[in-house]
Amino acid sequence: MAALLKAALALPVLALPARAGAIESGEVGLNILGYKERGLMRVTEPVAWGRVELADGWEVKGSAAVDIVTGASPELVTNVSGKPVQVITGASVDDRRTIWDLKVSKRLGEWTLGVSGARSSEEDYLSRAYGLEVKRDLNDRNTTLTAGFGRAADRVRSHDDPTLDEPRDTREYLVGLTQVISPVTVVQTSLQWGRGEGYYNDPYRHTLTFYPEPSVPAFAVDTRPDHRNTFAWITRYRHHVASHNGTFQAEYRFYRDDWGIHAHTAEIAWSQGVGGVWTLRPALRYYTQSQADFYTPLIPQPQPAILSSDQRLAAFGGLSPSLRAQYQHPGGWRFEGTIGYIENASRFHAGGGGSEFFETLRAYYAIVGVSRTF
Amino acid sequence: MAAENELQVHAEDAGIAGRAARAAIAEVQRIEAKYSRYRPESVVSRINAAAGKDAVAIDEETARLLDFADACWRQSDGAFDPTSGILRRAWRFDVARVPLEAELAPLLGLIGWDRVERDAAAIRLPQAGMELDFGGFGKEYAVDRAATVLAEHGIASAFANLAGDIAILGEQPGAEPWQVGIRHPREKDGLIARLPVASGGMATSGDYERFVVVDGMRHCHILDPRTGHSARGLQSVTVHATSCIVAGSATTIAMLKGAIDGMAWLEALGLPYFCVSEDGTVAHTFR
Repeated sequence: MAALLKAALALPVLALPARAGAIESGEVGLNILGYKERGLMRVTEPVAWGRVELADGWEVKGSAAVDIVTGASPELVTNVSGKPVQVITGASVDDRRTIWDLKVSKRLGEWTLGVSGARSSEEDYLSRAYGLEVKRDLNDRNTTLTAGFGRAADRVRSHDDPTLDEPRDTREYLVGLTQVISPVTVVQTSLQWGRGEGYYNDPYRHTLTFYPEPSVPAFAVDTRPDHRNTFAWITRYRHHVASHNGTFQAEYRFYRDDWGIHAHTAEIAWSQGVGGVWTLRPALRYYTQSQADFYTPLIPQPQPAILSSDQRLAAFGGLSPSLRAQYQHPGGWRFEGTIGYIENASRFHAGGGGSEFFETLRAYYAIVGVSRTF
Repeated sequence: MAAENELQVHAEDAGIAGRAARAAIAEVQRIEAKYSRYRPESVVSRINAAAGKDAVAIDEETARLLDFADACWRQSDGAFDPTSGILRRAWRFDVARVPLEAELAPLLGLIGWDRVERDAAAIRLPQAGMELDFGGFGKEYAVDRAATVLAEHGIASAFANLAGDIAILGEQPGAEPWQVGIRHPREKDGLIARLPVASGGMATSGDYERFVVVDGMRHCHILDPRTGHSARGLQSVTVHATSCIVAGSATTIAMLKGAIDGMAWLEALGLPYFCVSEDGTVAHTFR
């Protein structure tokens, strides 16, 4: 390679520095997500986002979203002699959540420094977070090391209890490695640790259990540990197959926390280019988790100090197929649409042994988006 | 050089700009006259006419250009060969037809940069019928020389374009970069990208300049001297370098190497590049 440049230096021509123009470029877009869970809950989420690359290696990214949640909050009533019955209560979830985040990063040679902030608020919940990130490119940018720190300060409130205003603090640490293996193959892996302290209870959740004896049902409010330590390992693999004009994508995530949950997520996808402007991406995701130590759909006797019947803490598994279509107009407009289906069920738990009373969840979602580069 | 050429020069007064521009144009014309294979008195025509016979004396400029061509030949494992222009005799891109192997074979026998006898002062093509062609780097060299002449006239902001081979000498007044459009390989008159460039040389090779489509298969003018057939795997490659001659030869070598090897080679070269793969997707952008 150097030989080519060296031979050119012997020519009577000026070596002009190969400098790109310091010009701003960027992208803006709007996505709308629709989600329907068996008539239980419908969420629509318009997200506006943008990204601007400025001169001298500055980059600013941001997004803002409004979630409109309508429907009803499920509540669980259990019966020791039978199947739990999920009741849709009158106290409906009808909330509006606003979210925004902003990230500024600056490239300094092989280093990239990033600072981010985010805020999410709804009537009964407020989250403020910030993050710091350092990236280092090595080996002609074929290797990138990432280290990050994030901190979130949340407040949990309740419509039902105006006196409730409890804090929750979370710190997260990340180290990652991105490696270009060949011009068509990239592997990315990262380790993430989280340490949270504070209020984890769901103020709307109660567990009610009817026993054959005595006739008075047991009643328990949702009570969880006041801390949660998490660990996750995520690996992504992408391989472009030029002969088929497609890219194979695979992702695996391992998660565990000190509540007793171990989870595995695996996703495979194939992104197929069609005619230069279309991309179709069918994907299939599988998820499985063990149950939290204190998950119980029934109130045991004697009643323990901590317990929750939130079925997101149960042992279950999920399958989620999706299909995304994208149209890239050469003028810079991009249109995309995704449809997907989620089914979470006890029987999908890896190796069997899913929680007996897990109510199968079936949901459909669709995302449509438009974006434009400038 | 029958193509769209353009020279934009910014200077404090029009007189300085005009003088510099005229000198740059004269330099381009000098190089064309010296290396054109269409002019019987050119260095290239004299070398070709003496093929199989005598060595032809060459000056230092020609010797250095041939050294550069030699570096390209080595870097490309023989795919970039200054004696491969002879394949034009079999490939006529105005007729939708693929030459027969029987037509290509005798021409392939006349290609071989490694057989050319050469030193700093003379060159000899060892076989009658062999041809040397500066087509792969002559125009790029001319545009680099134009930029050099402009710089020698004190110009700090100029844009020289010889049919897509570009040399840029500093930003436009007001520190505005020049906007270089990259032609869409499949949409006539369309752009696939627009890149701001402050300075440097830039060139694009594509399979859309001259080609024929036979039985659904596209055959382009970038011909591999080892097979006699067209390069495959990439629709277009653009490279940004310190000179146009480096950019131009790098794009040609990448096209000849194809998608996987070509992109790996460009990565190793370390220069910013933009390429469109055979399926029409942008496989790499400058950033």
